[in-house]
Amino acid sequence: MLWKLLRQHISVAQLAGFFIANLCGMVIVMLGIQFYNDVSPVFTQEDSFIKKDYIVVTKKVSTLGSIAGKSGTFSDYEVDDLKSQPFTVGVGAFQPSQFKVSAGISFGGMDISTAMFLESVPDGFVDVKADAWRYTDGQSEIPIIIPRNYLNLYNFGFARSRNLPQLSEGMVGLVSLNLYIAGNGKRDMKKGRIVGFSNRLNTILVPESFMNSANATYGGNREWEPSRLIIEVDNPADERIARYFNDNGYETEDSKLDAGKMTWFLKVAVGVVMAVGLVISLLSFYILLLSIYLLLQKNTDKLENLILIGYGTSRVAMPYQILTVAINLAVLVLSVIIMVIVRGVYTDALSGIITGTDDVSIVQSCIFGVILFVLVSVYNIIAIRKKIGSIL
Amino acid sequence: MERIELENVLPSVFAGRENIVSDVWRKKLSFAKGKSYLIEAASGTGKSSLCSFIYGYRKDYEGIISFDSTDIRNLSGDDWTGVRQRNIGMMFQELRLFPELTAAENVTLKNNLTYFRAEKQIKEWFSMLGIEDKWNEPVGQMSFGQQQRVAFIRMLCQPSDFLFMDEPVSHLDDANSKIMGDILSAEMRERGVGIIVTSIGRRLNMDYDVEIKL
Repeated sequence: MLWKLLRQHISVAQLAGFFIANLCGMVIVMLGIQFYNDVSPVFTQEDSFIKKDYIVVTKKVSTLGSIAGKSGTFSDYEVDDLKSQPFTVGVGAFQPSQFKVSAGISFGGMDISTAMFLESVPDGFVDVKADAWRYTDGQSEIPIIIPRNYLNLYNFGFARSRNLPQLSEGMVGLVSLNLYIAGNGKRDMKKGRIVGFSNRLNTILVPESFMNSANATYGGNREWEPSRLIIEVDNPADERIARYFNDNGYETEDSKLDAGKMTWFLKVAVGVVMAVGLVISLLSFYILLLSIYLLLQKNTDKLENLILIGYGTSRVAMPYQILTVAINLAVLVLSVIIMVIVRGVYTDALSGIITGTDDVSIVQSCIFGVILFVLVSVYNIIAIRKKIGSIL
Repeated sequence: MERIELENVLPSVFAGRENIVSDVWRKKLSFAKGKSYLIEAASGTGKSSLCSFIYGYRKDYEGIISFDSTDIRNLSGDDWTGVRQRNIGMMFQELRLFPELTAAENVTLKNNLTYFRAEKQIKEWFSMLGIEDKWNEPVGQMSFGQQQRVAFIRMLCQPSDFLFMDEPVSHLDDANSKIMGDILSAEMRERGVGIIVTSIGRRLNMDYDVEIKL
């Protein structure tokens, strides 16, 4: 009966307006979060064993320098200076092998063998599961990360021309490599196992502990200076990095910054989209509040009379509070449904690029939606209560 | 609640007037439970103001009004809700019914707060006052005299220490006025309520213990 009295003057059009506006805002916000969660692995997954915000630097190789016999390596002073830069999180040196190494693969009675070089970086820069990327003295198999280009070279060049089967990344992991190591008057054969492929490191990477012991055994443990450094930065798009490198005559391979830049741009883009969604949510919330205020205004006489015949403020406020919370809840539920549908559409469209979206859950975006719902509802409840309290 | 006391009370709009002749304003006055009072007044002497001060929806007065020696200015919103549900039944001059609800719904809306009266009793009052055929009729379609009777019944649908009526019979005939008086006398006898009635001419027909000139 109270509801029969109070529902008068409710404007369906206004509430529908709020509903749609709030729905848009909520969907945009939730979809923004979800899209970011779904898409960001694309930029990070391929080299998931290398930390994403890193840069490899070398010194410029100039003709004059080559003739003059300049080494092109980084001195301790230069490394320390780089470490002290504000954008630097960590610096690691590429340690080259000081011995001869050739790698071979026995395949269907054929031996393919080539002279190679090995390098290592501190383990902190390699993000492979600890047991896969470990070397202790005497271990027969050495984990290796090779550039993905090498596999492509084999698959699309070598294997085609020789009518050999193409290899998938998974298969390569099963094949072991023969490493012939020679130096310091010693000669050994070791097994190597490929644990990962990298688009971003053009080198053959082995664990640092292996490199240390191998250099000591076969290379005589000479002093060395790194010719390449790996730097972890907090933001690869930081312009100070480019300026610093330019001033010092260092070079980076630009494409290596791209993944970092892409995730950075993705973050910015999603941030902007989410901000727009939040603004729409805020505006729609304002519409709701205005609509409710108008409703209360139109029903002021009734509310006053109800209070005068003994109805408490909270009891009179409750129908309106339930109404708004119900609308908010409906918006939340519908937002989740729309988000799931839209997500289905874009994952289909991007299925060629995105893999493994199944692993990404929608919990995070839903939690954000619930937080938004709770905040808006609580504020609505308080605002209505206050407004009615001010009538008498 | 046993007593309603007024001490030196004056509506703010009257402040500055020197020649006020009244038994209420700027006097000490007390309404006791179990007694009946008639407040007679000419127009513009602040009769409805007095009702609104005591019922707590206007505070523009000087002096002190207290319920059992509690200054009513100190009552909170919840306190007033309690007073309006259980201590003071009010029949407003402007009735304050809901025109879109039926007569029965208007009364039930009040009765549902405390479930004080059985529906049988309410229907009996409807027939006593000759409006039993209006039970399901929207109040907005009823005459003012009929509406006064609905408002009167609504006032009775709560436990009360005092019943306050602002010109309850302005649009009623003597027969209905007499019936109302009988119902009120019965309430006084059975529940010991205090009754305060205002009038600017037509009196609600009953024996008053005290008559006051406003």
